Amino acid sequence: MKRLILVIERDLQMFLQYKFLIIMRAIWFAAQVAFFGLIASRMVVPELADVYFEYYVAGVVIMMLYSTSVFIGYDIFEEAEHGVFEYLLSLPVSRRELVLGRSIGGGIRSFIFIGPIVAITLFVIGLANPLNFLIAFSALFLFAFGVSGMSITIAVGLKSGDRFDILMGVLNAFIIRLSTTMYPQVFVQDASQLYAALTTINPVTFASDLFRWGVGIEKYLTIAPMPLAPILGLTAFFFAFTFVGVTVYEKRLEGGGWQ
Amino acid sequence: MSDSIISTMDLTKRFEDLVAVDHLNLNIEDGEIFGLLGPNGAGKTTTVLMLTTVIKPTEGNAVVGGFDVKRQPDDVRRLIGICFQEPKILWVSNSWDVLNWHAKVCGLSTQERKTRVKDVLESLNMWSHRQKKVHGLSGGMRKRIEIAKVLIQRPKIAFIDEPTAQIDVIGKHKIWNMIRELRDAGSTIILATNELYEADILSDRVAIMHKGRLMVCDTPKTLKDSIPGGDSVEIQLEKEVTKNVLEKLKAFHEVVDVVNIDPDRLRAYLNNVEEVVPDIMKLFLRSRMPVKSIHVSEPSLDDVFVHYTGLTIEAAEQEGPARRHK
Repeated sequence: MKRLILVIERDLQMFLQYKFLIIMRAIWFAAQVAFFGLIASRMVVPELADVYFEYYVAGVVIMMLYSTSVFIGYDIFEEAEHGVFEYLLSLPVSRRELVLGRSIGGGIRSFIFIGPIVAITLFVIGLANPLNFLIAFSALFLFAFGVSGMSITIAVGLKSGDRFDILMGVLNAFIIRLSTTMYPQVFVQDASQLYAALTTINPVTFASDLFRWGVGIEKYLTIAPMPLAPILGLTAFFFAFTFVGVTVYEKRLEGGGWQ
Repeated sequence: MSDSIISTMDLTKRFEDLVAVDHLNLNIEDGEIFGLLGPNGAGKTTTVLMLTTVIKPTEGNAVVGGFDVKRQPDDVRRLIGICFQEPKILWVSNSWDVLNWHAKVCGLSTQERKTRVKDVLESLNMWSHRQKKVHGLSGGMRKRIEIAKVLIQRPKIAFIDEPTAQIDVIGKHKIWNMIRELRDAGSTIILATNELYEADILSDRVAIMHKGRLMVCDTPKTLKDSIPGGDSVEIQLEKEVTKNVLEKLKAFHEVVDVVNIDPDRLRAYLNNVEEVVPDIMKLFLRSRMPVKSIHVSEPSLDDVFVHYTGLTIEAAEQEGPARRHK
């Protein structure tokens, strides 16, 4: 357990070295909200403009959480390039502790990153029910750990930084666009039944819905008003990539199978 | 055998058609500095990576500290520490953070950690650079950070791969002394190196590797004594040596072998060097071949390497690792 915590500590320490990235991401968030959010919300019927703006801001928070949780996979390639991966594999840390620690570390650091962003969001949207918010916020940890675990699994499986970069770009296009981060489920359904079906099983939809439920934007929730379904969905996602995934890539890592 | 802390049994690693390590059988004793000597591509680093469970053997097995590297890798890793050939440090980190975290993960208490990290950094003249980012350090400084990891950790079994690469002469002596102190404090040290002098002065025993295979393994003294005509004399002439003179030189019964290093430079391997050198000098004088310089020496591990592989370590390096014929 102590070594697991040390692995997490290392990832947190590393994240704070990426000051430039953190600042750029924060600027990206500000631009999305201040430009895109404000302008795009004018495209909907006037009486719903403010609702859509809040809906969109909450969605951007989840997009940020997703993209910062994915970042751990890039770290793996950075480490492989500098040979640090070999060093980590030689330490008195089990492969399970190493992978689990990195998955949790990746999740926690994305929370550190989105902390101030969530605070701004709460300032913009307001907070209707603090208990709901705490439940939603806690469940989002599962989402962040799950995304980090997924990123590590793909990174270890692909063993190529370029392929990882391309695949994550494509995955991002699918997983974000086929979710309710930017548009409510009713409009997705209007566009295509298949898209709608995929949206309802997407962990990003679960996370977006939960966050909106937590901050009190209940209008246009996909699975409203019960938070149980998205919580269960995120729990399944977390287990799939943090435990089942760990077992799979533990085998790949052991004895240098990642090379 | 009973004192062996590491045993390898036909340990083999293949990367497609390249045989990096070929059926290696070694027994390393507890508390010794064991030199793995060979040119780049001899299989030293691959052997170290297999013994430290970083990569898996293709064939054969090894037992490290009583644990099977294939079946009990976690137990193996609890006993070992490794200084890699290339420093394995992220460039955005600083030396203090890297070493402090390493000490923590190796289980050192807070007090022990602070003391050891400070002591080792001071000994390596790195204390004043502890807050600098790795990308701002020179290659030699990075290598010092890499070796500091193992010196701070003081593991039961330390694998040290080319510890003084890129390090200046004073630094080399300091690191050699620190490695000896580590051995004296109870660690077994596996020293992978292509520096013959380093292997000679540090190792209790040396294994010479070439193309992934073990050529010979013994104490440096025994290895040197094993060469017929153990002494050597290197003669620099003012002009090219003739075939006739070479034949006469070979005819001395003390002379075992003569190698032409350059047309005007030769090395003779012989016995009783003190007695025969005057006669050799007479031969060159009589043959009107003035001697520019003469250097008498005991055999080095370089000579041992030449003896067992037929190549100098530089030539062996140019040949590269062994490849399987498809």
